[in-house]
Amino acid sequence: MRQPRLSLREQPLPGGQPLAFGAGLLIALIVGTLLLLAAGHDPLKIYSRMFEASLGDPDAWAKTINRAVPLGLAGLAVAVAGSMGLWNIGAEGQIMAGAIAAAWVARIGGDWPGIILISMMLIAAIGGGGVLALGPALARAKLGVNEIITTLMLNEVAIRLVQWLIHGPWKDPDSFNFPLAPMLPDQARLPTLFSRTHFGLLIAVAVIVIASVAVRYTAWGYELRIAGSSEATARYSGISLSKKILTVLVLSGAIAGLAGGIELTGTADRLTETISNGFGFAGIIVAALALMRPSGVAVVALLFGAVQIGGQSIQTLGVSSSVSTILQAFVLFGAIGAGVLSRYRIVLDANTRSIKKEMSDD
Amino acid sequence: MRKRLIALLAVLFAFGMLTACGSDDSSSSSSSEASSSSETEEEADSGPETKAAFIMVAPIGDAGWNYAHDVGRQYAEEMTGVETAYVDAVPEGTADFGNYVRDFIDQGYNVIIGTSFGYMDDMLALADEYPDVVFEHVSGYKMNETNFGNTFGRMYEPRYLSGMVAGSATTSNLIGYVAAFPIPEVIRGINAFTLGVQAINPDAEVEVIWTSTWFDPAVEGDSAQALLDKGADVIAMHQDSTAAGEKAEAAGARWVSYNTDMSEFAPEAFLTAPVWNWGPRYVEIIEAAQAGTYAPTAYWGSMAEGIVDLAPIASDVDQGVVDQVMEAKAAIIAGDLHPFTGPINDQDGNEVLAAGEVMDDGAMLGMMFFVEGVIGSTG
Repeated sequence: MRQPRLSLREQPLPGGQPLAFGAGLLIALIVGTLLLLAAGHDPLKIYSRMFEASLGDPDAWAKTINRAVPLGLAGLAVAVAGSMGLWNIGAEGQIMAGAIAAAWVARIGGDWPGIILISMMLIAAIGGGGVLALGPALARAKLGVNEIITTLMLNEVAIRLVQWLIHGPWKDPDSFNFPLAPMLPDQARLPTLFSRTHFGLLIAVAVIVIASVAVRYTAWGYELRIAGSSEATARYSGISLSKKILTVLVLSGAIAGLAGGIELTGTADRLTETISNGFGFAGIIVAALALMRPSGVAVVALLFGAVQIGGQSIQTLGVSSSVSTILQAFVLFGAIGAGVLSRYRIVLDANTRSIKKEMSDD
Repeated sequence: MRKRLIALLAVLFAFGMLTACGSDDSSSSSSSEASSSSETEEEADSGPETKAAFIMVAPIGDAGWNYAHDVGRQYAEEMTGVETAYVDAVPEGTADFGNYVRDFIDQGYNVIIGTSFGYMDDMLALADEYPDVVFEHVSGYKMNETNFGNTFGRMYEPRYLSGMVAGSATTSNLIGYVAAFPIPEVIRGINAFTLGVQAINPDAEVEVIWTSTWFDPAVEGDSAQALLDKGADVIAMHQDSTAAGEKAEAAGARWVSYNTDMSEFAPEAFLTAPVWNWGPRYVEIIEAAQAGTYAPTAYWGSMAEGIVDLAPIASDVDQGVVDQVMEAKAAIIAGDLHPFTGPINDQDGNEVLAAGEVMDDGAMLGMMFFVEGVIGSTG
């Protein structure tokens, strides 16, 4: 019986990734065309709107970039943990924890000058995200508790915490009892760079560059990657695994927390339970698309942001939110699938013996 | 890193090629659409064409708050001939709302209607940014002097009438009320409903459970079940899902729905419902925008104006009760009956409104207490 399976290419296809991404996208657009036709839309009009709205002019770029900032940071958070083989599924909650911490600073520092207030908010956000990741980090480092489960479950805790604050102690006294937090003070808004692109772009780019360099070019990052590829090797070479796990997961949470702080000061009026807006979960896809390499998340997040903004925009042409979501999924899936195929090839095995042999070779 | 940049460029290039090929076609097709529609409709407008966009917080679905708005949108499109569009599932308090509004405005939409409370501050800011666009916010309280107003309805009127029907239907004298959030709008509805119940059946009480959701079928169904388990034989609600009705149907109890006539979801249980009828109000707003006479107001429409109404009453309800309800409805529309007329006591028996007095709008809009006969707390 011949069975298809994936086998790692000895060398990635020459120029394979750009080619594969292009091809994947093309296939996705073709499948999407069929979907749009089936739903009774003009595909060319829809695609052209998608492009116009996300990358067509500076205002469109601003929308895409403002969306790419939290996506990129969330993706970075997942990728940094992923470099060591750890899964942080809790970026969604860590974004909220960051936003909560930043909102708390805005409450006590309502009359501070803007630059100090915003700086303190962002530092608090980093702390908030890190604190939420601390529990799973300790449990994994000291007790070997699976971090996927713990980080995932803390998402629920974080959203309940936001809800409790908004419905309870932080409810705006002027909101007619509506569950709304008060508006942020005016000086707590991030300045803008061009159009509505906010300063978070520069922060995100800086953090991504620093993290990429740290993971790729420092001894610390080298140890991280060793530990990620083989625990045994890491132990043998004297790397303290539990300390590494602790630092990396807390760092991952802190990066996601920063995304929450930037969202709060950059795009939101106030703390809301929708502040994380799915960015934490999307960050997992961003990181996967970037093949868990911190250096890749910026580009992927920009693409992802453009697809989401474009996907939203076509709803104003009457495309339903569900069709739009499927279309976005096609585009991303096409790109991911193609990315995988540029590194792996599909092998049809002639018989079971060779499977066993290859497996033992791996 | 370099490879990734190449990848991105390739992707953007491919994307750009496709869309560039498409843009000629699409622009010509949209202009031909525009010319054909102007030929057929022959609207003689002088200024730019009026187009209305609706933004909603949850999928329009097949019943409930957002569905009722979409029915209103379609009605307005039919009545005015103005092109309308909507997006749904737009969360509050994120950048998404502003992105959608700007998208619509880019495409020439000049009436923006937001139907969820949490859009309020965003709309206020956008109205300032786009002075030539009319913004109307449903269920909020902020406005400006030129292009941003708000709309809501006196739902307490049909709530009172639905309470009368519920009061006649209960034999256990315990009515359950599954409610979203303890805000004045919802509390006012519960109080009006309870006053209606007591107008028919002074011994009946109304027990409230807060769900802290607008739309969550699981939570709302469980809450209804808890009330049924406590002996309630009629369930009323301030929710967008039909889950409470399905539980009432299964338990052989009765149900007062909300937003729309939801009788098809629980045909045996359904008694009646206070319902929204947004269409005529949307026609008003769009026509004012079209004529250039739009002036922001804090519109709080009544049953007389038709924005709120009572759904048909189930056929097995005693004709005497139906007559009584219809009489009350006529009296409310004529201005002879106001649901909040004293004497009204609060839950603890303290007099809130003296006999013969009618509560003013301010007191109703900020209502944060339960009337006598409600079991539960407003906190």
